[in-house]
Amino acid sequence: MSAIQFTTKNIQGNDVAILTFDRPNERINKLSTPVMRELRDHLEKLKTSNYKMVLFRSAKPTIFIAGADIEEIRQLKTIEDVQTAVQSGQEIMNLIEDLPMPTMALIHGACAGGGCEMVLACDYRIATEDSSTRIGLPETKLGIIPGFGGCVRLPRVVGLQAALDVILAGKLLNAKKALKIGLVDFVVHPNLLENFADEQIQKIIADGGQKRRKKFMPKGIVAGLLEGVLSGVVYKKAKEGVMKASKGHYPAPLAALEVIRRTYGSAHRTQALKTECEEFAKCALTDISKNLIHVFYLTEMVKKQTGVANGSIKAKPVKHLGVLGAGTMGGGIAYVAADKGIDVRVKDISFDANSKALKHARDLWARLAKKRVIDNYQFTQKMALVSTTTDFSGFKNIDVTVEAIVEDMSIKKKVIAQTASEMRSDAIIVTNTSSLSVTEMSEGHPHPENFAGMHFFSPVHKMPLVEVIRSPKSSDETIVTVFELAKKMGKMPVVVKDGPGFLVNRLLLPYMAEAAFLLADGMDIEKVDKAFVYEFGMPMGPFELMDSVGLDVCLKVLKIFKSAYPDRIEIPPLMEKLEQNKKRLGQKSSLGFYKYSQDGRKTEFDGSIYSELGLPAPTNPLSIAECIERCVFSMINECALALDADRIVETPHEVDLAMIMGTGFPPFRGGLLKYADSVGAVYIVDQLNKYSAERKANRLKPSSKMMERAKSQATFYKQQESQ
Amino acid sequence: MSSLPKNARDVVIVDGVRTPFAKAGTKLKTVHAAQLGQVALKELIARTNLNVNLVDEVILGNTGSPSDAVNIARVVALNSGFPLSTSAVTVHRNCASAMESISSGFERIRSGTMDIIVAGGTENMSQMPFIMPPAITSIIERLGSARSGGAKISALWDWLMADLKQIKEMATTAPLAKTKYKPIIALAEGLTDPFVGMNMGMTAEVIAKEFGITRRQQDEYALLSHQKATAAKSKIKEEMTPLYLPPDFKETITEDIGPRDNQTLEALQKLKPFFDKVTGTITAGNSCPITDGAAMVLLMAREKAEALGYKPVARIRGYGYVGLEPERMGMGPAYSTPLALKRAGLTMKDIGRVELNEAFAAQVLACQKAFESDEFGKKLGLAGRIGELRSDILNVNGGAIAYGHPVGATGSRITLTLMKEMQRSQIQFGLATLCIGGGQGGTIILENEG
Repeated sequence: MSAIQFTTKNIQGNDVAILTFDRPNERINKLSTPVMRELRDHLEKLKTSNYKMVLFRSAKPTIFIAGADIEEIRQLKTIEDVQTAVQSGQEIMNLIEDLPMPTMALIHGACAGGGCEMVLACDYRIATEDSSTRIGLPETKLGIIPGFGGCVRLPRVVGLQAALDVILAGKLLNAKKALKIGLVDFVVHPNLLENFADEQIQKIIADGGQKRRKKFMPKGIVAGLLEGVLSGVVYKKAKEGVMKASKGHYPAPLAALEVIRRTYGSAHRTQALKTECEEFAKCALTDISKNLIHVFYLTEMVKKQTGVANGSIKAKPVKHLGVLGAGTMGGGIAYVAADKGIDVRVKDISFDANSKALKHARDLWARLAKKRVIDNYQFTQKMALVSTTTDFSGFKNIDVTVEAIVEDMSIKKKVIAQTASEMRSDAIIVTNTSSLSVTEMSEGHPHPENFAGMHFFSPVHKMPLVEVIRSPKSSDETIVTVFELAKKMGKMPVVVKDGPGFLVNRLLLPYMAEAAFLLADGMDIEKVDKAFVYEFGMPMGPFELMDSVGLDVCLKVLKIFKSAYPDRIEIPPLMEKLEQNKKRLGQKSSLGFYKYSQDGRKTEFDGSIYSELGLPAPTNPLSIAECIERCVFSMINECALALDADRIVETPHEVDLAMIMGTGFPPFRGGLLKYADSVGAVYIVDQLNKYSAERKANRLKPSSKMMERAKSQATFYKQQESQ
Repeated sequence: MSSLPKNARDVVIVDGVRTPFAKAGTKLKTVHAAQLGQVALKELIARTNLNVNLVDEVILGNTGSPSDAVNIARVVALNSGFPLSTSAVTVHRNCASAMESISSGFERIRSGTMDIIVAGGTENMSQMPFIMPPAITSIIERLGSARSGGAKISALWDWLMADLKQIKEMATTAPLAKTKYKPIIALAEGLTDPFVGMNMGMTAEVIAKEFGITRRQQDEYALLSHQKATAAKSKIKEEMTPLYLPPDFKETITEDIGPRDNQTLEALQKLKPFFDKVTGTITAGNSCPITDGAAMVLLMAREKAEALGYKPVARIRGYGYVGLEPERMGMGPAYSTPLALKRAGLTMKDIGRVELNEAFAAQVLACQKAFESDEFGKKLGLAGRIGELRSDILNVNGGAIAYGHPVGATGSRITLTLMKEMQRSQIQFGLATLCIGGGQGGTIILENEG
């Protein structure tokens, strides 16, 4: 069966050819090699035909063409592979562009990457106003650049600034935006698409059926200058923007920028496309691109998962969410739920506490309204979804309650028992605890099968990860429901087994503790933090991270670890000392390693911390490499145990997804274990041995499971997965 | 006692909630009427754990018709989480709009057409608009349709001149005086009878004079209203939900802003008559303040309430509305109550509590006199007096002089207050009644289910 149907249509005496993309038995259309081959055949025939026009459309309900085949890109191994693939794609787009008759794309549904590049090669573009219609070039998000002429054609069609906006950020635009920048000519209701297109075709044919090479015309003098003489300013600003956002870790946007800089305005298509092809090849073969594609697969994996092995178990509907505790976490959870249309009822003990949750949510939406991401009506609707109470009124209507009260086992157990008695017997309660045992807590619930952990990360509206913690008694239905709820809230859920710190905190705590030891060894706090950001690619360094988690919380969790794993966890005396000064708890007390403004922004480093801790001025005796390795390898070392011994999660994929989504572990490294595989277990064990001897640190000794891996030279990912 | 056997199609009130009421121009002035309604309705849903999918209709009273929410019931319903499919209608019977919502709901349920109805009302009188006078709108229309530059400039010039005249009139005429260029105060127009052109306050003056209600009697009554209201604070809280004040949520309103515990007779007596400045007795102190607030009740057919496991607070026994001379609108309760009693098969002797809305002290006192007057009864075509309206059963927790009168919400507020009071005091029958601008009276009669 073919993926492209060829049909014809007679419009007032004119024969028009229609190519309809519809891959048989597939949900989406993509430009895989077989599809491209088919397309080329059609185009070769059309080249010499007498059709008055050629139309491109899709038969899929919400997809036009989703893009090239990502798996094929991932499999590209050599520079020749890349060049063959890219050139072949470019040739096909050229064929479309060079067809003797005018061409028109009818865009309904996702039109991304190669799909977008294809419509750019057409003369006319009409999109539907449907919410599924999203057009753009997301390639840089996968560490590559548009390679089928997108870097060359988009700036020509929409102008330099709009094109840079789309390509560098890897954006998909809705129809309205696409129309605004001139990427499409018309936007119509889906029901009108065919008829409207027919009318346009008649007009085009009546006007002589000419080809059109749409060229962006800047409006106004300033825009004109920026497109031409002053384009240097635009490139410079764009580059600065990319460097600021990527800290130089992501080469693809820079490569795309380079292609556009060298080709924009050029009349030599072949040369321009050659430049694009060269830069594409540079990106496509990097580990960074392979890792970003890996991360893309991880997020796709979650979309398909349900949280349990048995796929037939269905999630219970969650229309009403309860939140116990109106603090930062409770307020954040209320916000993300209501933002996705879930009715939320927040319960705390005082009006003042409840007010804070309302204000937290309102301020976030107000910011979106100000930026015109939402309008005032959406603002009112979202706000109307959040109500508060100081008693349990309304809890019989609630499907799931998230407990986010004080981290105290006995209080939590009591509150959970009470809440359960106020809810329907089939309702679910989840705890947002970051450190306490979910299994023990479930004893508070009369139906422990309806209880689980749902651990959000702070700030809730920014961090995509949710750890769904399964206690031995949690039912499959509960896990599926919580997993689905997390997805509905726009989060990335990962199911983890109960255990101290679950997954992410279990790995992060040794990492942060190790940073405290670095400080004790005479390292400069800012220097270490900067190294982690600029050298390694973390969104923030370990000290800043401790500030954001809260020193008291770090220490509390460390103590829980210490009692669980007395042999290998060492509590840095520095942290205990710091925690005693209650004013220095981190962001929440406006002072930690850094100073913070009232609204939580980091203002400056606080140099007085060294003397306060009785430390001499930092001498930086250690190499940056050692600093990074000691901290990061501590995580990997612990992860080997969490994964191999305790089976906190089942696969390295889940570890990497959790670390990227929960801690911002650099996506270009593909995740913690992708990174571990890239340096190798042997090296990690050797270095850990070296550091533990040199620094007399038992805690840095390789764990049993790490040693096993080094001995067998085993990677975390199976070979075929880690390509 | 004239209790009736329980019937499946009895209309019962399951529960009710209201927002705190706040004198207009104070704490709630920035909270839209739709939002006030939503706060009360969401809390009613929560307290009753109501499955909103089962509700047949949301009927709300409102008189201001905010221009951005003209069918405000629909706006309140959707923002309160009702499904798109739920019918919602706004009803308007001036001061009895929210009572109309209840009586309309009563009829829909009694007839068997519907089973579950949310009734209530919401009003933000602070936000009633100033309307541009036709003298200015006509200039703006001219500007909009002007084709030539000259015509535009001419219109703009006229607008400027009109504005200057407006400022002059604002400075030189009485605040409520209507002039050519001053903005029309929607609230003032709303409180002026459109048939006889008399302000509501003036209608109260008519009654005070005809029934011989003195200034002192009125002031003493007003004082009592404040005293009873402040004494009942904790009881009244049962019917109220706190209102978290947007946008900053720095403040939570937990009680009515109206009842004054430091009110003195002396202070009341010092006030100048507001309407009839020479011979009048009606002052701002012995009238109800204009107010912002919302009140909601949940109505069900008895069989539905039972099936869903609800224990209703009260049963609606009957209601009645009657018209009278607009200039004596304050006597409305004396007209509508006999009708409602007759329909309910009860007499005043059966009634243990009365909520008679205190639009003006004079009007309450006049109604009390009329209830007990054989002559008045005969005028209505009754055999004798309507029946005694004892002070010890009348507005036992104070009334609108203290709490305020958000016009479109009062009908459900007094029903709610009555119902809770009957429950607390184990009273079998009670009635809520009010006078209605434009010359009507409305009464609703409840039987305790507790």
